[in-house]
Amino acid sequence: MSCSFTEKVSLLIDGELGPQEVREVERHLLSCVECEQLRADFLNLRSEIVGFESSLEPLVQNRELKKILSRGERRAVVRWGWSTPAIAFASLLIVGAIIGFIRYQISTPQDPKHTAVVQTPIQTPEQTPEPTPEPTPTPETPKRANPPAQQKKPIIRDPKPGEQFAAVRPAPTPEEPMRSADSETLTAIHFEKAETLLRAFRNVRLNEPGTRAEVAYERKRARQLVYQNMILRREADIAGDVQIASLLENLEPILLDIANLPDKPASDDVRVIRERVERKNIVALLQVNSTVLARALD
Amino acid sequence: MASEDEEFTMLFQDFYPSLCRFLECLLGGRAPLAQDLAQESFLQLHRTAWGTLPLGEARFWLYRVARNLAINEFRKSNTRYRLFDRVVEAMRPAARNPEQEYETRERKQLVLEMLQSLPEDQRTALLLREQEQLSYREIGEVMKVSESKVKVDIFRARASLRERWNKRAKTVGASVG
Repeated sequence: MSCSFTEKVSLLIDGELGPQEVREVERHLLSCVECEQLRADFLNLRSEIVGFESSLEPLVQNRELKKILSRGERRAVVRWGWSTPAIAFASLLIVGAIIGFIRYQISTPQDPKHTAVVQTPIQTPEQTPEPTPEPTPTPETPKRANPPAQQKKPIIRDPKPGEQFAAVRPAPTPEEPMRSADSETLTAIHFEKAETLLRAFRNVRLNEPGTRAEVAYERKRARQLVYQNMILRREADIAGDVQIASLLENLEPILLDIANLPDKPASDDVRVIRERVERKNIVALLQVNSTVLARALD
Repeated sequence: MASEDEEFTMLFQDFYPSLCRFLECLLGGRAPLAQDLAQESFLQLHRTAWGTLPLGEARFWLYRVARNLAINEFRKSNTRYRLFDRVVEAMRPAARNPEQEYETRERKQLVLEMLQSLPEDQRTALLLREQEQLSYREIGEVMKVSESKVKVDIFRARASLRERWNKRAKTVGASVG
């Protein structure tokens, strides 16, 4: 490519030259075989690149669009609804604290003659010595790298006349976080409601009179359940109840999708949600878990 | 909200296929990955920039983000061709006309191989010009480079491809002869 016009040929086929330059290059092309061949080759390459067919299938395209829109809507709902569950959670904490305080008051002995406190040592499983017979220790016994901390002896003494002690409770042991019975009841009820909703949604017949009202009703119910679901999921997470948290986590996007359905949902929208419900087997899981929780509460 | 979604849907319908094609060529095939990245680009647009970005800018924004995602992907897995991609390609349904399908595949493969021989910036510039018909100024906007660099990149890409193409034609001619 010794000709000085070669770069201009590229600009010519891209329409990046001014009118005067176009005329100049076209005039040159009439006399330069090399540049004329270059233009032909560049145009051939263009047709090869333009003719490249993507492997994309139309079905995939529609599915991707739905995914993106539903994710966006979900985010919007979560952002809008953030304050509500936060307030509800804070309220629950306050109520829990009040109930705990009342129980504490009730369990406190009221007897004024309560005179002595015997604080027994707390024996956690690690500290409890095994009842295995040990040979009598000899001075040669090697010392452990980390000898267990010696437990403080409880202070046991007779009360002085008229002396009163505050009821000292043993130090709290690091227990596994537990969900309250109230929370479990709420979860069981929530599961039942969600199960009923999903069953009803599964049976909605599109293209029949009254469908719109039916969908609107299911949508409203789904909206109500979404917030409850968020609160319960958070509680289950905090309590470390993995199974319940996971089920609630799976349920939440489905509730959100139903809650975000338009007034006149396309049959595809409804079908996608139904398929997801079927695929995740969520109705059966809800049924099993609500039964298990109800039995546990009985 | 509804009209925003409608606008987004229109933009998606208009540009998702071409974004997939652009990414597929940029990545040297790997259609599933190209579709993932195209989806990720649209998702980012919907989440972060949609509503604040002028509609005319959205297309350039998309190509810019898609290209960055593709570059990240090169860095992550430059040497390995993901097993998943191979499985997906192997599981693709058989062609209606095997001969035609074979020819199309061969041609696609040839274009991809030739494009892969180019440096990434030349490849991107050329694809944006040929497939998306962006002007040099618009390509510069997508790639955040000057118009003169775009001009040089495109010319070099073409010259390089032409050379390879002619070499290959000679080789094929010699083997046939």
